[in-house]
Amino acid sequence: MTSRFGKGLMLAGVVAILLFLLAPILVLIFSAFDGGNIFRFPPRSYSLRWFEEAFNHNEYKSSLWISTVLGVISTAIAVGLSSLAAFGLVRGKPSYRLALEVLLLAPLTLPLVVWAIALLSIYAQLGMNGTLPGLILAHVTITMPFAARIMIATFDEIDPKLEAAAKSLGASPWNVVRRVTLPLAMPGLLSSTAIAFLVSFNDVVVTTLIAGAGWITFPVRTFSRLRTEGIDPTTIAIAAMIVGFTILVIVLGQRLFQLSRRF
Amino acid sequence: MKRIACYAAVTAVSLFPCLPAFAQDYSGRTLVVGTWGGDIERLLREHVAGPLEAKTGAKVEFLLGGSGDRLSKMVAERNNPTMDVTFQNIYEAPAALKEGLVVAPDAALVPAAADVWAGMNDGCYAMSLVGLGIAYSKAVFPEAPEWSDLWNPELKGKMAYAPYPSSEGDGMLAVAARIAGADETNPDAAFAKLAELGAPMLTYNSLDEVLTLMDAGEIAAAPMISGYVISNLENYEGIGFVFPKDPGPVLVRDMVCQVANSPEPELAQMFIDLALGVETQTAYANELNFGPTNSKVVLSDEQAAKVINTPEEVESLLQLDWTYVIAQRSDWTDRWNKEILGQ
Amino acid sequence: MNQTPDITPTTTALLVAPAAVLMFGVFVLPFLFLVVLSFWSQVPGSLSLDTSFTLTNYVRIFSDSYYLGGLWTTLWLSGFVTLICLLLALPLARWIVLHAGRAKGLLIGISILPLICGALLPTLGLVNLLSPLGFINGALKSMGLIQTSLPLLGNITGVSIGLVQAFLPLMVLPLINTVERIPHDYEKAAMSLGASPFVVWRRVLLPLMLPGIVAGSLLVFCAALTAFVTPQILGQGKVVTFASLAYQQAAMVLDWPFASALGIVMLMFLALAGLVGALISRRLARAS
Repeated sequence: MTSRFGKGLMLAGVVAILLFLLAPILVLIFSAFDGGNIFRFPPRSYSLRWFEEAFNHNEYKSSLWISTVLGVISTAIAVGLSSLAAFGLVRGKPSYRLALEVLLLAPLTLPLVVWAIALLSIYAQLGMNGTLPGLILAHVTITMPFAARIMIATFDEIDPKLEAAAKSLGASPWNVVRRVTLPLAMPGLLSSTAIAFLVSFNDVVVTTLIAGAGWITFPVRTFSRLRTEGIDPTTIAIAAMIVGFTILVIVLGQRLFQLSRRF
Repeated sequence: MKRIACYAAVTAVSLFPCLPAFAQDYSGRTLVVGTWGGDIERLLREHVAGPLEAKTGAKVEFLLGGSGDRLSKMVAERNNPTMDVTFQNIYEAPAALKEGLVVAPDAALVPAAADVWAGMNDGCYAMSLVGLGIAYSKAVFPEAPEWSDLWNPELKGKMAYAPYPSSEGDGMLAVAARIAGADETNPDAAFAKLAELGAPMLTYNSLDEVLTLMDAGEIAAAPMISGYVISNLENYEGIGFVFPKDPGPVLVRDMVCQVANSPEPELAQMFIDLALGVETQTAYANELNFGPTNSKVVLSDEQAAKVINTPEEVESLLQLDWTYVIAQRSDWTDRWNKEILGQ
Repeated sequence: MNQTPDITPTTTALLVAPAAVLMFGVFVLPFLFLVVLSFWSQVPGSLSLDTSFTLTNYVRIFSDSYYLGGLWTTLWLSGFVTLICLLLALPLARWIVLHAGRAKGLLIGISILPLICGALLPTLGLVNLLSPLGFINGALKSMGLIQTSLPLLGNITGVSIGLVQAFLPLMVLPLINTVERIPHDYEKAAMSLGASPFVVWRRVLLPLMLPGIVAGSLLVFCAALTAFVTPQILGQGKVVTFASLAYQQAAMVLDWPFASALGIVMLMFLALAGLVGALISRRLARAS
């Protein structure tokens, strides 16, 4: 596979895959510039009106803020708890490791609408329905499987001899974790944080049922008018801006912090 | 001097009715309203929530989603409701009342309810009148079609439906039954006739999906709710909408319900009162093309032509026995999945 | 494999406890309620529940090819999507780690764009591309390769394309982490000892990448299994999936006992598949 031709073929394949991932998103970004009233591609006229609308629309702005806050809190808890548990399962090698792995993966195996209704009933019995802690717990539960799975793989891949070596050189357990384990686990931590945050940010079904008044997230707001009016082009403009912002952050992160080295 | 004092006293007394009726202070309290998003939420904020907040000092928060989600929420939260007001579909309201989830409509609590057309407050208060008509592709139908025109064998398989269960689906079944000479109490006839149209090309989850394909002529027609389509006609040149005559369009209502045992029953009643009031109903008609249920609303001729707003128009509509229909929900969903979609 | 633990059982239990307790409280308890619900039934024509024990929901599922068919379709579709994601993500991850250099962050960003945008918007973009009047059919027609439009929507093809596009990020990220881990000279060392590329892959690289492959595969499989928005929109209502059945029964018909039973039957199938998989891998481990 080291021949020139082989390499060229690989490159072509990679470009094809990336285009496949990008294509629908490019459609969206272009249609965000359409001047019409509805979602349309290819655009028939060009205008920035939907971007202007996005900046002026208070309800979308507050729902984006709510989604972000909820995502950050839920992700912090989910990644934190999953990392502790994953470390315990991998280094402790308990007999119950498989059972716990199944438990941590379980929410992904059920259609969330059914679970959400059951959760809401239980919350109502406890008087917790509509509260923020209730919503956060629900979001932690749906993101934990992703974080746990990745952190388990991460710790599985770190050679325990590295930690043993540091210990034998006299490092305290805390220093072993701080100087050896954490840096090695950083790529996994970044991946699980990114995925967990995005899963929480984009959730609709669970949040529609569990969120109380004042906690309407961005995707819930987007979905709530699909049957009656269709897609609001403002949300497409917002999505285009989020994509642009993310790419910008990555490029800047690369320039300033050599991000690719940490991943 | 005495005369001036007398006049002053009389003036002061005569001004009393002009004082805000809600002299009670609700500041610090929150009213939770469940509704669809988009323009519906915007209108409610403008014409109902805004004035209510100004008058009472309370805050109004909206919960957004579909009506099925709200019904699920009401059932799940039965012991401890967080929603005070909820907007539901026509078929959900009687069921909700039967289950004790909502407070029966009462003109003593909500004065504007007395202005609503007779017989409409079935289960909950009637908010809007819309009709299920035919949205059609002008390329396929140069002239507006009748229901029976859809049963053209050349058009088999070119229909689009909303996900079932829905008022669009039930309405279409009722129409099919009538065309077959029966009515919706004969589901066998209804399903058999509807199946003749073939499996739908599309079950749509958002308006854009169906309207884009219809605009291009790929989809021939779809039974759709008047308000949604009429508001969108200006965006799609290739689409038309018609209220058929034989049978007429199916009557569909949006209902607004006061949730039972909710935290803020008085605020809820005030909200509903404003929602049913002339100002909100007129705005609904003018901006959303939803027919007003308040008999006192006066519309321009142009607007009146687009919506259902007179007793005569209401008479011409096909009215289903929604209590019967929703009782068949589980069965009919199975049958729809297999006999209509599964062809 | 070294089986002695590196930390004490008490420490292990303490580390695992918070996550376990949270999962138990917030997931398992409602789940147990669902199990109980599945043995109840909905009073016909009403929203209230008949709490007497009954097997009607399970009988209904197992005696009806519509529901069994829907569950089965979802299972093999998820497996198929997982396989395709694996085949696409492996070369992509390897290329990004080994050859991308400074563009690595950017390429990773592009790989996870579908996840950033959520389920709805990229799916609508895909509908546009795959539509009979869309870009792909238009391009193929103008190149003279086809006369009539290919049906890419409303069938398994469209749904698969959408699911692969939506969940490829879930496979790519863990694989990138994993490939990073592998010292680059392992491959060269093995080949310098005379091993063919195929053997290098099978005996050296795959075992080293196994944790990442397992993580990515499990995530993609489960995500595809319970995906709702993407199959609904791309399937145009013609592809019956587990999640759409469950949503229809739970949130539209409000037959919660039946919806719970659907979920539990699927879990039974998954447990069965997991058991079979575990037995096979044990056989393989013993063989090699």
